[in-house]
Amino acid sequence: MLHNVKDNYIISVKDHVSQFEEKSFRKLASNDFKSWPSPREETWRLSRLGFLSRKEITPIKPNLKKQISSVSKFKGSKIIRFVDGALREDLSSKLPQGASLKILGEKDSLRCFHKFKDSNLKNHPSTNVSFSCTPSIVKLTIEKDVKIKDLFEIIYEGGDDYTSVHPALYIELKDNSIITIIERFNHLSSLIMPLQLVELKKNASINSLKIFNDNQQSYNLSANCTFLSEKSNYNSFSLIKGGLFTRSETHAYLKGENCNLNLNGVYLSCKNQHHDLTTAIYHDVPNCTSKQIVRGVLGGKSTGVFQGKVRVAPDAQKTDGQQMSRAILLSENAIANAKPELEIYADDVICAHGATVGEIDDDQLFYLKSRGISEKKAKQILIRAFLKDIINESVEESIQNYVFEEAELALSEIISKEI
Amino acid sequence: MGNLNYLTNIGRKMPLLEIKNAKLKLDNKDILKGLSLSVNRGEVHAIMGPNGSGKSTLSYMLAGRDGYELASGEVFLEGQSLSDMEADERARSGLFLAFQYPVELPGVGGMSFLREAVNSRRKFLGEEELDHLAFVKEARKVASKMFVKDEMLKRAVNVGFSGGEKKRFEILQMAMLKPKVSILDETDSGLDVDALKIVSDGVNAQRNDENAIVVITHYQRLLDYIVPDFVHILSDGNIIKSGGPELALEVEKNGYAGLINAA
Ligand SMILES: Nc1ncnc2c1ncn2[C@@H]1O[C@H](COP(=O)(O)OP(=O)(O)OP(=O)(O)O)[C@@H](O)[C@H]1O
Ligand SMILES: [Mg+2]
Repeated sequence: MLHNVKDNYIISVKDHVSQFEEKSFRKLASNDFKSWPSPREETWRLSRLGFLSRKEITPIKPNLKKQISSVSKFKGSKIIRFVDGALREDLSSKLPQGASLKILGEKDSLRCFHKFKDSNLKNHPSTNVSFSCTPSIVKLTIEKDVKIKDLFEIIYEGGDDYTSVHPALYIELKDNSIITIIERFNHLSSLIMPLQLVELKKNASINSLKIFNDNQQSYNLSANCTFLSEKSNYNSFSLIKGGLFTRSETHAYLKGENCNLNLNGVYLSCKNQHHDLTTAIYHDVPNCTSKQIVRGVLGGKSTGVFQGKVRVAPDAQKTDGQQMSRAILLSENAIANAKPELEIYADDVICAHGATVGEIDDDQLFYLKSRGISEKKAKQILIRAFLKDIINESVEESIQNYVFEEAELALSEIISKEI
Repeated sequence: MGNLNYLTNIGRKMPLLEIKNAKLKLDNKDILKGLSLSVNRGEVHAIMGPNGSGKSTLSYMLAGRDGYELASGEVFLEGQSLSDMEADERARSGLFLAFQYPVELPGVGGMSFLREAVNSRRKFLGEEELDHLAFVKEARKVASKMFVKDEMLKRAVNVGFSGGEKKRFEILQMAMLKPKVSILDETDSGLDVDALKIVSDGVNAQRNDENAIVVITHYQRLLDYIVPDFVHILSDGNIIKSGGPELALEVEKNGYAGLINAA
């Protein structure tokens, strides 16, 4: 079965390539795509892609005239819109000074491709498929010393059943620049394979919020590769709630001293959803900190996966790496898997990790009930608090309410079914 | 009308809280071994006893914690058996437990927690639920009496509170909920001298002819502030001696050994 699809898919990819110019990075990428990862591959063991065999999927031909109706939730935000995986400048905002968007040419695209191929995302299916199928790689640059005050909102939408979409975005923050970016994935496609390359130059800071909210039948295999230079900050929070199968995979390379990474996330899953947060943090130099808090709430027959690798290179002394994951199962049929993976080759480091999967805390529940609050209400309070706590800790104050409302949409559905 | 009065009078004559021959096992180990205790309106009872004698177990059993169901015996609150009542129902009916170790609730704001609790009880009593503003006003008033800063009510419940702050917050909850029977499990432990006075004043302010308080403590000192009508010594799952305030002084002076041996 799988072979069939693979062949189908490769044929589709090749067809698709011919729609565009025959650029070398596309060829390289499509030649490299041998097959979907097998469940024997360690990082795909808990998130299997066999489902792809049930559908024949063809990369979408972006319709550059497609009209969209989604609106921004923020007044005055700067919107960048991808429809069918292609940048739609006509539906995007004019960017403020110091920020620019551009479609990369052959040489720069090839450079991006090699960044991925040199990373541990080299065998991620999105790397090869999307580099060969993306309409174009879009680059967002924030110039040196520029502190962007406007909120940037990147909305990915469009797509169709039986098609795949391949948005590719390269974000470069030059020295001392600062920005807050909200990304929303709202596709209708069967398969979504976003690529993202982030480069933070010296002392640059990004607050990144990603909301995965694709169509309930879709599969999202997002791949993010981030490089942090000296004193840079990457503060990232992902909220996964949509899709039938959503895996957000992030690999962060801490390359300059005194940089700081927060890679937090929440998954809210119900029905038969499968949500997966896979991260790899590479401490390659001394004196950096990374912190990860991941939480999940699961109902129905859903599955949650958290895989968190932290690698501390022999030279990376004084590394401070923290990782905590916790999943709450509200239904007997839900499953949560947590797989922390610490590879520490330096000796002078502080690294802590903990992973728990379970039910609502008994002590907390009893405390609330002992105050006259019904069990049902108490559980609701505790589940909401579980998320509020991490949201407040992870995202900046001005967007906390928004994130909480977004989470609440999925949460209220889980709560009404399970509590 | 006359009938109703008659019923109420009967209600008033029976103990507010009555524990009859309570036996309880934890992990197949006998912890409470046939304990009986009667508490009437307007009374303050102190329970003292060595570590591990079953004091907290007794308080959890009364509050209705899962796993602390009686193997035999019964407990009545105003004549109503508690055995079929869940913890939240008992609390709404007027039972309050100040925890020996108050539980941290990350992400649960103090003010909304209090409001949820108070409104649950008000609803049960057939009183109108308080709206946000009215509630905040009331909570601040009570808090200031307990020297609890407004800022503490904005924080997550018990998270990052000092030991003493947690205990003060427990008594603040008691003051807001106006329970009929309060069980204070070592509310004095971890309090400095000034806080002990504040907390005791807070408790005393709530003493009246209609309610009752059971104070669990290791220290006679607390009983100088909250003067009990009765003192009970709990040892190995049973009350082995009861008396007046002088019994606490005796414990303070001679320890439990003599009392336990005599029993
Ligand atoms: N879950 C349990 N399973 C078995 N034994 C338990 C359990 N919980 C408590 N115990 C035991 O029950 C006994 C009574 O404990 P309890 O906490 O009620 O004592 P206490 O009188 O409150 O002590 P302290 O003065 O230290 O607070 C102890 O011996 C304790 O070890
Ligand atoms: Mg105790």
